Amino acid sequence: MEIRIEDRLRRPMPIGPERKEGDSGGPGKPDVKKPDTRQLLERMKRVDPNTARRYRQRSGE
Amino acid sequence: MTRLFGLETEYGLYVEGKEVGDLVHEAAQVVRSYPDKWAGPWDYRHEDPRRDARGFRVDRLATNPEDDKIDAHAPRRSTDAETRSDRVLANGARLYNDHGHPEYSTPECSNLFDLVAHDKAGERVVLACARARVGRASQPDTTDESGRDARPTISIYKNNTDHHGMSYGTHENYLVRREVPFEKLIEGLTPFFVTRQIFAGAGKVGGETGAAKGAVFQLSQRAEFFTTEVGVDTLDRRPIINSREEPHANARKWRRLHVIVGDANMSEYATALKVGTTSLVLSLLEQGWQPLITLKHPVQALHHISKDPSRKWEVEVESDRRSGIPARHLNAIDLQRLYLSESRAAFAGESDSVDWVLTEWQSVLDGLDADPWSLDDRVDWVAKEKLLQQYLDSEGIRWDDPILQSLDLEYHNVDPEVGLYYGLEQAGARRRIVTDDDIARAMTQPPSDTRAFVRGLCVARFRDTIQSVTWSRIIAKDGDKRVTIDLSNVIGARVEEINRRASAAKSVSDLSELR
Repeated sequence: MEIRIEDRLRRPMPIGPERKEGDSGGPGKPDVKKPDTRQLLERMKRVDPNTARRYRQRSGE
Repeated sequence: MTRLFGLETEYGLYVEGKEVGDLVHEAAQVVRSYPDKWAGPWDYRHEDPRRDARGFRVDRLATNPEDDKIDAHAPRRSTDAETRSDRVLANGARLYNDHGHPEYSTPECSNLFDLVAHDKAGERVVLACARARVGRASQPDTTDESGRDARPTISIYKNNTDHHGMSYGTHENYLVRREVPFEKLIEGLTPFFVTRQIFAGAGKVGGETGAAKGAVFQLSQRAEFFTTEVGVDTLDRRPIINSREEPHANARKWRRLHVIVGDANMSEYATALKVGTTSLVLSLLEQGWQPLITLKHPVQALHHISKDPSRKWEVEVESDRRSGIPARHLNAIDLQRLYLSESRAAFAGESDSVDWVLTEWQSVLDGLDADPWSLDDRVDWVAKEKLLQQYLDSEGIRWDDPILQSLDLEYHNVDPEVGLYYGLEQAGARRRIVTDDDIARAMTQPPSDTRAFVRGLCVARFRDTIQSVTWSRIIAKDGDKRVTIDLSNVIGARVEEINRRASAAKSVSDLSELR
């Protein structure tokens, strides 16, 4: 691994898909397909319901 | 936006089969499993967390009574240095064990793009440590007789609560010009911090303290744990404005604002907007801007906004003779719009980064006004609430079902294979600010436009010479010669030029000549 000084990628921060350049209005519906979250529901069903009961921490700052 | 900022995250740690009294030892073991180049030790001699920015020093810092009970029964297994296990990484970051939490402090960044990449790199670094700790990185799977993976599970959570009354922090740090009176920072920032949770909150199922009694779902993980307006404490009696006086830079020119009132964000967008808006408000105050709003009861307002089921988010404000604002109730969205309006008038067009913050600040406030759930691709509390509602509908259960706190916790699991936030991201349901390549690069490369570059370069090339490190100074040895690399003034317009010269260093002594 070598640390390099280089011209950092200076690209603009990404604007969301529902917004066009010069449009500073409120958000509209994104012009993209609705994400498929069915697999995510399956992932949620695999969560151990006792996870939070067992999870104990010290305080932090 | 030319300001140095950074994020410190204390990660939640679960180790299968271990109790809370074991976590200080376990967190040290996780940190010590860091698999790449590092240097140390950290030099604590110049740090004094009891100094208050209001001009005094407290006799002692408050400790958490529950931690005191744990410590009374936990055996001390190692020295302070072994326990803390400080590591300074080649990307300029700091990794250590803070009271039983693996803590990752990003290197100092000067733009939001770098900051988000380094914050996300922290998740991957801590996860890599956890995997190395259980041997997952280097050993084949081991299964028991039933075919179950017999290695202990270590889970890493980027959140701020254990749902049993213990909170741990995600802190923001901003370098601020010394000439701004601290009282002015308190006045200008308190209403802003109380209300920014409407877009920066990470969301939480239920409540843990009397302040959140009756809460079903809160905007903020942290809000209910804050009990005072200003103070130097962080473990107990937590204040909205932390007055710790540790500049980590030339103290005549700079102060470091240490913000402890925020949540850990999984959302890249929320991290960028949280830090970007705060930095703009600080810029207003550096210009001599006079705040227009004073809250009547800031602590109660912080709690109320977080748990308000009506989502009206109204707070009481004092009258202001200068602006003509009468004493009244004001909506948190409208209060944020005041800050936005002042920031736009002062800074619009200054840079692409500033314009991004102004545009997105307006966009998110408009979204909260019209339909908060339209922000599920970028605001953490919205994404979490909507996801949990989908689960409730699917399973036919109610908001008081105890499994919801487990699902809440798993939203913050940084393992992309199991974490619910990462499930959303993999489904294309998150707005990204950086790419996975940006994050991977930030794991090993420091920002090239801040003093963190010199620190990272020193670790990468000359780590065997390093005697000690702090944020503002590195002590090294070049043969018999003691070398001091002073970074306390490596701030401002000349940094990139200094870094270019640093990159040509043939020995650690060459770095001591940087001015």
